Amino acid sequence: MHSAFTRSHALAAYTVSVLAGLTFACFVTTAFRDYTADTTINTVTVLVRNVPDYSALREKNDMGFMIFDLKADLRPLFNWNVKQLFIYLTAEYETPNNKLNQVVIWDKIIQRGENALLDHKNIRPKYYFWDDGNGLRGNKNVTLTLSWNVIPNAGHLPNVVSTGNHQFSFPDEYTTTKM
Amino acid sequence: MGLNDWFNTLHMDYDGQARAEKLSRIIILLFGFVGFIWGYIIQQFSETVRILGAGFILAAILTIPPWPIYRRKPLSWQKVRPQRSGDSDGEGKTKKKKQ
Repeated sequence: MHSAFTRSHALAAYTVSVLAGLTFACFVTTAFRDYTADTTINTVTVLVRNVPDYSALREKNDMGFMIFDLKADLRPLFNWNVKQLFIYLTAEYETPNNKLNQVVIWDKIIQRGENALLDHKNIRPKYYFWDDGNGLRGNKNVTLTLSWNVIPNAGHLPNVVSTGNHQFSFPDEYTTTKM
Repeated sequence: MGLNDWFNTLHMDYDGQARAEKLSRIIILLFGFVGFIWGYIIQQFSETVRILGAGFILAAILTIPPWPIYRRKPLSWQKVRPQRSGDSDGEGKTKKKKQ
């Protein structure tokens, strides 16, 4: 502490240590928060096609398509340790080939300060809903679930599955016409 | 006299150094504590960081330069003893070399 240089050095080091402590305390205040929320999902149009998947083996695979509504109030999820939410919609179903199939068909990033009261009508999927075979036609039990990652300033990265999912079935006939 | 000379010629005494360090820690802790409470109230951690940064600037202004209040208790050195002419001791020679 004998010179201005050593004093500024000690001051900077101490400030950073206090900042680290405060960041940890911020994490502690939110560590046990419940990040679950309720969502309402509804399908408007559901159809399935049998088309060649050129990104894979060019065989004809089932491709599902649906237009859906999504309602969720995610405002209570935000606090001072949440930077953004990454929300994604998964379709889960069972086929003779696989016990569990999970396909992400839509996602969205909600940053802090943006509108977190979701009320979307007629969303089209962002990503193709390919099955790795012909398991979608006539599938009676496909579940749409919304999940999210909570991205914090500091701490762990919770992955939360929302309550309230939607089950639907694909039609028994392939759609061949253009929409 | 430039700023560099001013920093080099003026030094805090031991008591001043201790008080400067103590004061800087009190300021940082106080601003950190207040910033944490305020950030929690408005649920905005960036405000906590900003208030801590303000405390850093304040502490830097108050405790880094050797202000006069940190130079109030200088060490009372012994008076320089007059050198005897026939001194064969090495000390006087080394001092002269340094100067």
